[in-house]
Amino acid sequence: MLLLLSISILSVSAFAQSSTVTGRVFDEKGEPIPGATVKLKSHEGATSTDVKGKFSINVPANENTIVVSFVGYNKQEVRVTAKSTNIRIALTVNNNNLNEVVVVGYGTQKKRDVTGAIASISEESLAVVPSDNVVDQLKGRLAGVDIVSNSTQPGASNQIRIRGNRSLGSSQTQNDSQNQPLIILDGVPFIGGSINDLNPDDIASLDVLKDASATAIYGSRASGGVILITTKRGKAGKAVTTYNAYYGISHITSQYPVFNGTEYAAFKAQAATGNTVNPGTTAYGLTTAETAGLANGTNTDWQNFIFRPGYTTDQLLGVSGGSEDTQYGISAGYHKDQGTVYGQDFERYTLRTTIDHKINSRIRVGLNSLENVTTTNGADLYPLYNTISLSPLTSPYNADGSINLLPLAGSIDAAKVNPLTIRNPAIQDLNRRLNTFNSLYGEVNILDGLKYRANVGLTYGQTQGNQYTPVSNFYNTATATSQTSEQVANSQDYSYLVENLLTYDKTYGKNHLTLTGLYSIEKDHNDGSTFNGVGLPADYIQSYNLNLANTVSAANGTFSEKGLISYMARANYSFDDKYLLTATVRRDGSSVLTSGHQYLTYPAFAFGWNADREEFLKNVSWVSNLKLRAGYGVTSNQSVAPYSTLGNLTNNAYNFGPNGYNGYLVTSLPDNLKFETTQNYNLGLDFGFLHNRISGSVDVYDQRTNNILQTISLPPSNGAGSTLINAGKTKGTGLEISLSSINVKTASGFTWNTDFNISFYRDAIVALHNNLQEDVGNGWFVGQPFDVIYDYKKIGIWQTNQAVEAAKYGQKPGQIEVEDVNHDGKIDANDRQILGSYQPKFESGITNRFSYMGIDVTFVAFARIGQMVSVPYLGSDSGASGYPFFNVGRVNQYKVNYWTPTNPTNAFPSPDASGTFPYASTLQYRDGSFIKMRSINVGYTIPSNSLKNSGISSIRVFATCSNPFIIWSPLTKSGLGIDPEGNGYGGSLAGASGYSTNAIGRAITVGLNDPLTRTFQLGVNVKF
Amino acid sequence: MKLFKKISILTISLISISAVSCKKLLVENPRATITPQFFTTPGGVLGGIIGVYGDLRNLWGTEGFTNITLAGTDEYLAGGSATSSTVPFFTYTNLVGNVTAYNAVSIFGVAYQDINTLNGVLQYGPSAFPDAETRTEYLAQAKFLRALYYFYLVQTFGPVPLHTTFITTPTTSDSRAAIADVYTQIITDLTQASTELQTIPGETISSTGAVSPFAGKAATKATAQYLLAKVYLTRGWSTAAQPTDFATALSTAQTLISNASTYKIGLWPDFASANAPGNEYGQETLFVVDESNSTKYGNYVAGGAGGSYNITSNLFRPNYPTVNADYPASGGASVMTRDIANGRPFIRIRPNPAYVIEQAFAEKVNDSRYYKTFQTTWIANTANVTTPRGTLTVGADTAIWMPPYDPGVAKRAKFKGIILTPPEDNAPNPYTTVFYPSMKKYDDPNRTGVNDPSTRPFILFRYADVYMVAAEAAFKTGDLTTAADMINVIRTRAAYQSTNTGPQNTAAVAAMQITPAQVTLDFILDERSREFYGECQRWYDLVRTQSLIRRTQQYNAEGGPNIQSFEDLRPIPQTEIDLVTTGPKFPQNPGY
Repeated sequence: MLLLLSISILSVSAFAQSSTVTGRVFDEKGEPIPGATVKLKSHEGATSTDVKGKFSINVPANENTIVVSFVGYNKQEVRVTAKSTNIRIALTVNNNNLNEVVVVGYGTQKKRDVTGAIASISEESLAVVPSDNVVDQLKGRLAGVDIVSNSTQPGASNQIRIRGNRSLGSSQTQNDSQNQPLIILDGVPFIGGSINDLNPDDIASLDVLKDASATAIYGSRASGGVILITTKRGKAGKAVTTYNAYYGISHITSQYPVFNGTEYAAFKAQAATGNTVNPGTTAYGLTTAETAGLANGTNTDWQNFIFRPGYTTDQLLGVSGGSEDTQYGISAGYHKDQGTVYGQDFERYTLRTTIDHKINSRIRVGLNSLENVTTTNGADLYPLYNTISLSPLTSPYNADGSINLLPLAGSIDAAKVNPLTIRNPAIQDLNRRLNTFNSLYGEVNILDGLKYRANVGLTYGQTQGNQYTPVSNFYNTATATSQTSEQVANSQDYSYLVENLLTYDKTYGKNHLTLTGLYSIEKDHNDGSTFNGVGLPADYIQSYNLNLANTVSAANGTFSEKGLISYMARANYSFDDKYLLTATVRRDGSSVLTSGHQYLTYPAFAFGWNADREEFLKNVSWVSNLKLRAGYGVTSNQSVAPYSTLGNLTNNAYNFGPNGYNGYLVTSLPDNLKFETTQNYNLGLDFGFLHNRISGSVDVYDQRTNNILQTISLPPSNGAGSTLINAGKTKGTGLEISLSSINVKTASGFTWNTDFNISFYRDAIVALHNNLQEDVGNGWFVGQPFDVIYDYKKIGIWQTNQAVEAAKYGQKPGQIEVEDVNHDGKIDANDRQILGSYQPKFESGITNRFSYMGIDVTFVAFARIGQMVSVPYLGSDSGASGYPFFNVGRVNQYKVNYWTPTNPTNAFPSPDASGTFPYASTLQYRDGSFIKMRSINVGYTIPSNSLKNSGISSIRVFATCSNPFIIWSPLTKSGLGIDPEGNGYGGSLAGASGYSTNAIGRAITVGLNDPLTRTFQLGVNVKF
Repeated sequence: MKLFKKISILTISLISISAVSCKKLLVENPRATITPQFFTTPGGVLGGIIGVYGDLRNLWGTEGFTNITLAGTDEYLAGGSATSSTVPFFTYTNLVGNVTAYNAVSIFGVAYQDINTLNGVLQYGPSAFPDAETRTEYLAQAKFLRALYYFYLVQTFGPVPLHTTFITTPTTSDSRAAIADVYTQIITDLTQASTELQTIPGETISSTGAVSPFAGKAATKATAQYLLAKVYLTRGWSTAAQPTDFATALSTAQTLISNASTYKIGLWPDFASANAPGNEYGQETLFVVDESNSTKYGNYVAGGAGGSYNITSNLFRPNYPTVNADYPASGGASVMTRDIANGRPFIRIRPNPAYVIEQAFAEKVNDSRYYKTFQTTWIANTANVTTPRGTLTVGADTAIWMPPYDPGVAKRAKFKGIILTPPEDNAPNPYTTVFYPSMKKYDDPNRTGVNDPSTRPFILFRYADVYMVAAEAAFKTGDLTTAADMINVIRTRAAYQSTNTGPQNTAAVAAMQITPAQVTLDFILDERSREFYGECQRWYDLVRTQSLIRRTQQYNAEGGPNIQSFEDLRPIPQTEIDLVTTGPKFPQNPGY
């Protein structure tokens, strides 16, 4: 075969006569184009133009056409003869990227016609950062889309904010529900689903609606922005089979540095010496085993026993195709992320079907069905703190090789169990979710330009939780077998949505008008129950038969339903493709608000001007595209839990002697709630210069939120701790810049592209409830950003020569010195101050892509700069795991530079076995800025001609390194953290407390969660 | 066109379905939660009272509230593992700068949440119950509980907000009422409760024949009368004193004593019985915060240590499992292993030997109460432990001995285990912050797991205090004879030891009697230490008798040097001050 092939090529060369064709390539303005590709149409052979646009190519006698192409321009075929010399070829601008279709909600628009602030990313760009979910892939990729890691465990879903926060939610969950964006999957709200339910491989494109003129159509769930996800659908043509797969190994990037054996002993000794109440004494002296360990040089790093190499694997097999009338796409996917901590993993199976069918020239119907099962193990297990706190002076194994089950025997923490026991396969912490998301549509062309469409969305999800912890285990230190603990939790959710859409689309001369009308209803339901058991006859039963437990108890059941009724009308008008107008009005009715305030109507407008179409710019050679956009709109928010307006009693059971009774306490008072609204102004500029070699957009915006739905804490003497009200105002302003450029494109085919984005966001509280100037517990202060840090300011450690001065404040050398702001000689509440904010000054991302000869290399980096971060393990102790707990010399912890009389540092205070530790919370606030390399991806696309006859249409192989290194971070540089990105909320990781407790609870903190993993992956994309 | 028809039918039906469900879609029907409306029903009224009873567990038995009631007095020092948020209570250091630490003073929030619930009960209750007798008895419980809370509030914080109606609309303003008004409300509630409450717990309601749910040791007439006597006594000492307060306190207490048999209450013959496991519902108990080993009703979870669990059995324990065989040198095995009988060591609160051993319990022979209050011996429970003086036999040898005196060189040489003695004796191996005699009134040997919380009901009021209230009231009216008589009742019982012979007991009783001339305030306070040590009263006893500053300075080497004159009131929690945002600012207590 190969021989035959060679012969035929030889024969062609041998017998064909060839000639040389020369010419020059120009752009539409008559400037020469260097680096344009000139190819023979039906034969091998290609060249490119030189700096003057000149080319010269050998053309065989039986070839009569050459093809000239250059990025940003339309391909042009030119007929040639043997006598063609000095031919002049003028390329025309390819406005393809402007004719690209953008999903705008309830329809699509040409990019050229878009008036709102929309950011988009393609399938290819997402693919260079392989991850468990699409949100993780978006990190740092789109201007104004802030994605912050909130966990390092497998399957973590991140926190998403588009243009920051607008609403004030006091708790993390409330903050999230009031500020997170709405996700629309193929035109239907992805209600009830989690981002982890989606297989990133199924996604064709992702568009983010940022300003109110774009989001208003989605009404009261869209004030946090809208993410529109479009999945792959079948296209007419022959069936295409796709197989995408990768496999990678992952390791933790770093262990947490802790004191070694001798350092630990020294720290304990100093805790006794530094005891400020009973000097020289400690409750936490070395145990017999520790004393022996110190003598024989024992130095155990307990972290070695909880980490393992992890792996990720991903497989997707899909078939799509169809005829003119019917298109189909089906795919099956599998993804697994085996965590680097024993017992933690994430797994997902997906099945997807799409069908689009044209019944006749007027009617189309379609279905998009997505089924998936995700399994997360170990998401509630946080082994790090209890591992790190173990004494390095004790041994993991006994002399006879058996596990030293209780390494701290003889100490106050004698009950703590060896972390080797986390590998016990009986431990169960399973969360399995089945989700089925279905959307159907029917579309009728009633008249020319008038279309009716019905969308029906149906979602059903079921979540099962199973937990079991055996005794004498790291996670359950009880020893009696009657004290195993088990839990079964079940919840289900379903939603339905019916949308009736009428669109009218008509062009009269230069006028183009599109009208859209919508009436929709949505109902969301969920309910659940949880049962706990204690004691089981055998570990293997785990949580599968609670009837065998010694005692079984039920947790509170849950039930909630909410309804939403919406009307929307939109008009899009354009004149001569130059002047664009969008006007929208929406009316929402929500069940969660107080009767009488359940409806709200609000408008949005936007104007666009395609300036490049004006005569005066048509001949400006370097301007390829220029558009101005201006928008104003109102969105609303009703993200409160159902039944919030009714008040609540909490049950509080009691026994009188042997008889038990249910009791109730008033914990929440009825309140009166209406919609929260946000007014948004946006001004944007889209541009493309130098044949679109440089393109991008700049947006500035201003958003003001009123009647904020917020939980306010009440004076405790009021009888109920908190209530929801509409109060307060906030504002946010921002600037977003996105730039794409082709930096280098050589004749040899080498290209270097850069996508860069940067966004600045400044928010501030304009007013709080009751004309309050500050709400300390929530960390809210008028005129300040949301979520500030409010505490005393540590200015150093009291040094030995400051003993007299320290005594005035009731303190001693070695303790933390805080600033006496008002210089009144005492430290009291008036000395607390704003120390910083959890909001970054700016965020940025840059993607560089190099390609040459089928090889492509992509670097993705991102940065968040100027934010403070709370590091609970260095700070205050609400759950006996922060620095104060450590400071008494009881447990081992993160290695810090602490004060002793001979080490007069200002970094950390002297250990003090008395437990006196004022101002401990001041230690946790650190600069959280960072620049990180997100991923490095190297790919090779096998040339298609070498695949001829193999039946394969394309193969790309690639290698990726995720999280290769941190480029810059003050926190890691100072040695007080191993990763500046967050890994949990202050409310979920033990150890966080301070004065603005709620603010820390909401903030993403850098705590003792799993270290970040670095992953090396090898993968392949094949199409048949 | 046929298809067209189908489609339009489908469309019309879709639209009409949505239109029909429209109105219903916006109506809320909760199913898993209960709204305040429930209070208008009999189940709601009873549930409110029970909910408040349940909330008492958030105070009595918890670490935070135990510290509030005991720390920073003459009786206690911080244990070696007292947490950084509670150490200031013992030492009075940085209290001023750490007002927020007092947010841990949960009594403020707990009390007002419960008071509001009780106000709801009292507001809706009268119409919720058709039966007058049931209504009267049930609502009397609410009056008693409201008075109980206000009594603790006014003693802890001084003037406090006084709410007697159900708050259904949240507000962000509040102000303090004069303490006289608070006392008036307390006395009104208690006076009514003392005649309206059940006579004995869980009695049958005659009008309906139903059994009252308030069994165990819920509030009875006797409980209310005792508390009323104490309220009069306390008001008598306060700035809101009425001239008749002490006399009324005395007569109220004496009436209760004379009617004791009606209420089936009395003193146990043996002091040790009063706090013995199993006797919580016994004759001497006037009121308990109930607990049981039911996970649903009884506030029990294996290994539970925070929250509202009763962990009093842990708080007073020394770190006995870390005493090593070569003590005080390091080395050798631990002589004891943590077990159920000896309890889970939290090392939070330790006795102040300078006062407890040398002053309050100076008499340890005729007065049986020192050894009935403190555990001083730990019997070996670990095999193969050898000290320099010999190998300990499990179950027979004493592994650790903490006598309240120096046993002398000879005994030390013979004793195989470890001996620790009061620092005041200047003997080898003094008590430390972690090794000290354990207060054993809360011992719970019936727990399932060694780390479990206690499921013993917490005894809040004991009949013995009726005598001590009477004694203090009599003393304040100048009737020293009655005061001595009352105290002698308690001391007579204290002399009794079940292991003594009759004549020995008679001799001890005689030796324990005091004369009227011996009755002084300090004697009464010392006597209260002997009788009520560890029973969560001390801080209030000293505050009531205006003795906190003086006696803390006199006896407490940790807190004495730092305590300031204003610290006999706790600071108002900072959250209350920060969150009163409308109207006048909520004032902090002076000094803070």
